[in-house]
Amino acid sequence: MSIHEKVPVTILTGFLGSGKTTLLNRILSEEHGKRIAVIENEYGEVGIDQALVINADEEIFEMSNGCICCTVRGDLIRVLGNLMKRRDKFDYVLVETTGLADPGPVAQTFFMDEEIQSEFSLDGIVTLVDAAHIEQQLGRSDESTEQIAFADVLILNKKDLVDDEALDALEVRLRDMNRMARVVRTEKASVPVETVLNLEAFNLDEVLERRPTFLEPEYPFEWTGVYSLEPGRYEISLAEGPDPTMSLVIVSEQNTDDASLREGAEWCVRRYAEPAAASEPESDLTMGSHIELQLQASGRKSFYVQIDSSIQIGLFAQHTAEEFDMQVINANGDVVPTECERIWVAQHEHDDEVGSIAIEKEGDVDPNRLNAWLSRLLAESGIDIFRMKGFISLAGQDKRFVFQGVHMLFDGQPEKPWGDAVRRNQLVFIGRNLDEEGIRKGFEACLV
Amino acid sequence: MSGLGKNKPKGILLEGWYATVDDYAICGAWNPNGTILVVGDSIGGIYGFEGKSGTVLWEQKRTHRDGLLCMAMHPHENILATGGQDGTFMLWNAQKGELLQEINLGRGWVDTLLWSSDGQLLAVSIARRVHMYRKDGSEIWKSADHPSTVSAIQWSKDNEIATACYGQVAFCDASSGEIHETFEWKGSLVSMSVSPDGDIVACGSQDKSVHFWRRSTGEDSMMAGYHGKPSALSFDESGRFLATGGGNSVTVWNFQGEGPEGTKPGTLEIHIQPITKLSFAHQGVHLASGARDGAVIVWSLDDSGNGDIIGASLVEEIISDLLWRPDDRALAALDAHGGVTVWQVGN
Repeated sequence: MSIHEKVPVTILTGFLGSGKTTLLNRILSEEHGKRIAVIENEYGEVGIDQALVINADEEIFEMSNGCICCTVRGDLIRVLGNLMKRRDKFDYVLVETTGLADPGPVAQTFFMDEEIQSEFSLDGIVTLVDAAHIEQQLGRSDESTEQIAFADVLILNKKDLVDDEALDALEVRLRDMNRMARVVRTEKASVPVETVLNLEAFNLDEVLERRPTFLEPEYPFEWTGVYSLEPGRYEISLAEGPDPTMSLVIVSEQNTDDASLREGAEWCVRRYAEPAAASEPESDLTMGSHIELQLQASGRKSFYVQIDSSIQIGLFAQHTAEEFDMQVINANGDVVPTECERIWVAQHEHDDEVGSIAIEKEGDVDPNRLNAWLSRLLAESGIDIFRMKGFISLAGQDKRFVFQGVHMLFDGQPEKPWGDAVRRNQLVFIGRNLDEEGIRKGFEACLV
Repeated sequence: MSGLGKNKPKGILLEGWYATVDDYAICGAWNPNGTILVVGDSIGGIYGFEGKSGTVLWEQKRTHRDGLLCMAMHPHENILATGGQDGTFMLWNAQKGELLQEINLGRGWVDTLLWSSDGQLLAVSIARRVHMYRKDGSEIWKSADHPSTVSAIQWSKDNEIATACYGQVAFCDASSGEIHETFEWKGSLVSMSVSPDGDIVACGSQDKSVHFWRRSTGEDSMMAGYHGKPSALSFDESGRFLATGGGNSVTVWNFQGEGPEGTKPGTLEIHIQPITKLSFAHQGVHLASGARDGAVIVWSLDDSGNGDIIGASLVEEIISDLLWRPDDRALAALDAHGGVTVWQVGN
């Protein structure tokens, strides 16, 4: 008996017009030397000789027990069941769903059917987002929300149709809903094949490298302004605003490109986690630490910073500059313009029901307690938990236990050995109206 | 199954012959007098083997574009029907491998083909429809769309066929296509077997259960507790036993007397991988079971539905089909590796 590798499968979702067919054609026409089978539910324009394209009508099979988590896609079982009979010839399978498809049953098919599970592995879910229209779609349909929530990769397509600020705000909103997804911005669905194939989407290490604090809460600041300053003493002047205090971190040597801003933001998240030092008006402000400006007094208030060499500084502020008419003024009394501004939209500003919970804890977990907790959690809230994934440090095991789940379905296996690495646990849950505190406490109770 | 020894048949299974086809051997059929075994592979190759020796009498490559899915041998004549992903069914001379007719039914997969016992009719399922043809290839009727893709068809009476799909079993008049009766069940019915008297319709369901209906009384029952979806089902020729797969063991329901409701089924355990195919001999209570690891076991059932192993062998790969020769004196196993193994069956 031969032992085969499971064939990886990517699910491609996204509303009509989001660019799925363009992306598919791009992947299929690129020289990557892989034989790809495509299962299409929409009659697109895909037609490339080297790929096998199979059209299948979406058939959703619910079970007599009424459990939505057991709902599968009958057409996929049939088509994949047949594909596995010519398995040698395919390195990869891509499933393109209709724009209105609920990704749940598609993903569940890879857990619920033992024959499919023995031959195929769900490599990842890629959701294309039409940057110009997704805001309307999110308001109107559950499917679009779920397509975002289920994704391992979110491709923000048609970025050329939207200005940068709106794109930033959109990205933050999408991240609020799904914190485990990688977000890629593009136009004309022009993304490298590696963005879609062989994601090993369940490799959280890679996610962490890209965004080290993705497990942290959302950015606790709303606004960043970058200023180019010569040596000298500067006044930061604020008018009366909506709050009696405002938190601030001043970052020295802040660049204005997107990557540097994100880097600065990640660094500030950690500063914001530290207790703030209260700064009264007329005082000098400390660079690089969390301070809280005291703004109770009436009228404009001034704070000062001393700059010793030519640098760019970044103000990461709890509120926008506009709200307090915040100005940086040089010794001559001139207002220094910003080199760039960036708005970070915080989670509380949206009321999307769908959100993410991320847990990171060092230490070992008791397998029995974990099992009992997860079973209970999934039985009670499985319908609302769209996806979960992560890795666990199980007591007594020398390898990290990597898992993923869709609704109540759960699949895991031991992977890389811990070696010298610090033993820790990372879990991400994405779902609707999740009880964050309950889930955190439940997990913490499983630690040895 | 180390005790069995690869390719060393035991018990009543005796050395016969072995051949290969180009790809996954998907389906096969013996001709009516058992002198030819026809095998189809997943890329559309069709091979006629001399039944005794395994010599290739004829072969046709790449018949159905995109792949072959099913075949059915006429019960009395050397006419073979094949169906495939190209939405086409073809009729062949099974002795010579000559194409007699090719009929395209449009977009969709031709999943199942079934001759009537008198050989006058051929039922064909494609996507959500069933078409009925005469032996000469002329169409009699086609059904309206079923609620979902038709997963199985079986003759339930001489003049009636049963169709299974997600959510229902329907019984259609063979000459008009009119639906006589439907049984609804919210579940994906993946397999179907009808008792020889047509009274009991059993379906394996995706949710790891077997559901059956008695047409005479309208009663239905569900047998749950399977470890996998029961995609292999087989009634014996008397209609007494229904053998069901679904996991590593074979569960045999006994329809004699009060059963099977409330009775303990027979359990046949030796396989260490999920059962993929079950096939009763044409006569008597010999049951062949095949599994994902290529193990083939022949069981002799007792009155309780339990059984003794009377033959065993191991082939290379997942068993895709098990075919008793019409006289039951040979058994063919097809596997995922393209292997065609035929054993003589001793006493």
